[in-house]
Amino acid sequence: MSTAVEQNSSFKNYFSGLFNGISTTLKGMWITFRYVWAVKPVSIEYPEVREVLPERARMRLFNDSQNCISCTQCAMACPVDCIYIASEKLPEGSEIKKTSNGQAIRLKLTQFTIDTALCCYCGLCTTVCPTECLTHSHDYEFSQYTIDTMKYDYLAPDVKAWRDRIVKV
Amino acid sequence: MQSRWDIGEPEKPTINKDTEQLKSELLTLNMGPQHPATHGVLRIEIWTDSEVVAHAIPHLGYLHRCMEKHAENLDYRGVIPFVDRLDYLAAMNMEWTYVAAVEKMLGTEVPRRGELIRIMTAELQRIASHLMAFGTYALDLGAFTPFLYAFEEREKILRLFEEVSGARLLYNYIWIGGVWNDWTDEQLARVSAFCDTMEEEAKKYNELVSMNKIFVQRTANVGIFSLQDCFDYGATGPVLRGSGMKWDLRKNAPYSLYSEFDFDVPVGEAELGQVGDCWNRYYVRMKEVIQSIRIIRQVLEKLEPGSVMGKVPKVIKLPKGEVYMRHECPRGELGIHLVSEGDSKQPYRLKVKSPCFTHTSMLPRIAPGQMIADFVASVGSIDIVLGEVDR
Repeated sequence: MSTAVEQNSSFKNYFSGLFNGISTTLKGMWITFRYVWAVKPVSIEYPEVREVLPERARMRLFNDSQNCISCTQCAMACPVDCIYIASEKLPEGSEIKKTSNGQAIRLKLTQFTIDTALCCYCGLCTTVCPTECLTHSHDYEFSQYTIDTMKYDYLAPDVKAWRDRIVKV
Repeated sequence: MQSRWDIGEPEKPTINKDTEQLKSELLTLNMGPQHPATHGVLRIEIWTDSEVVAHAIPHLGYLHRCMEKHAENLDYRGVIPFVDRLDYLAAMNMEWTYVAAVEKMLGTEVPRRGELIRIMTAELQRIASHLMAFGTYALDLGAFTPFLYAFEEREKILRLFEEVSGARLLYNYIWIGGVWNDWTDEQLARVSAFCDTMEEEAKKYNELVSMNKIFVQRTANVGIFSLQDCFDYGATGPVLRGSGMKWDLRKNAPYSLYSEFDFDVPVGEAELGQVGDCWNRYYVRMKEVIQSIRIIRQVLEKLEPGSVMGKVPKVIKLPKGEVYMRHECPRGELGIHLVSEGDSKQPYRLKVKSPCFTHTSMLPRIAPGQMIADFVASVGSIDIVLGEVDR
């Protein structure tokens, strides 16, 4: 196998190399030039046009606190410990509510906070949830100025509006 | 000028006979940590004599996330998202290696459909990873357009992965006992259509980049690893195959169902340049894409309806013992050494043998005597991902 320097030394190799260079460059330029008319653009102009996310897309977590039974399985499954749950016993004689799939809510949920800045969006918490109240929403535009505001308290009254919040133009 | 490793004064490179006579000092330069040509955050300290590199020292640790120590405090399922982040461009292969290690200790039977889907996702991921390698390598050498073409095809794979797993890069899709979700027939049809277009695209890439005179001049006969070098350093994957060794774990030590499949192991054959140079390493990857397509087509023929998840206990506790599992990943041989103390929900020790780490250690071997621009081509051709080097 000869090196590049030796190849160029011969007169014949010089011209064949020249021809090879021009022909391969033209071939490549033709491939690129075809994109002017023959290939449709695939890029999306993001803020104006939005891609429809697949159903399983894992974006910001959302907890439907009405259906939560405070079992803390999601907090235990979380590999980065970003779910903070606190609950207390229901007062004596109070009515035991049921979740939408029929499980009894025996504890009163007092805190359900997810630190989305810490969350790694792996989806392990949603798979262990027995009442399927913890789900991934399709909201991916929730950047904030400070890291404190990335903590989402799912017992806050205004939180229900977030469930279907996908910023629309 | 004292390095961390005392290696003595490096020899002055003797490339140019005119400058050999001149008295000049070596100049220390930092390439990186955020140099576009270093693929992540790798800092290479290079000692140069004008344009010629005399010595190169890779400095690691900029992306160290303590993954191995973290894994000791997580349950076996919780480690999977961390394993994803090793080689973020080939997360499926990383997951599979770890999961296979756990399954081997647990003795889990994976349903046939689950195993076939694993093979298909791993091969799709290999294509995506090689497309990325192709695109960024062209980018390193100053061609921007192929990068966009490669991303157009890679996007189709990522979209399919997003539909089945929910994420585009860090999937957490391959689980202990099987895979998370099944593929629908519509998605499988799209995989089949992708295979057809990808073959056409691969031809286009070869015309556009691989055979291009400028590209060949930049890469052929540059950064040559002899086969002996590869054995000495323990190189695997496309680097080893580019040097002419026909070694692929899928063929030589078949795991999973790979023994059922018919595919070739491409090696560097010196169509241009010579065996072991940057061009051959690069071209092995392009040939591997074609072989991966062949495997995917065979998977699509073999797929039958069925379950994708085997029976796994709810809380995974491994028996006392240890296992070493190695798989052929896009960048080489990934090894996972898992030690269990028994009756514990957490691994006692998880050690990752990373192919990229080995390949990074080979950089000082080829650096002396290279021009800086050729050194950039050499770094690009071994295709390292720093997430896997630093862990």
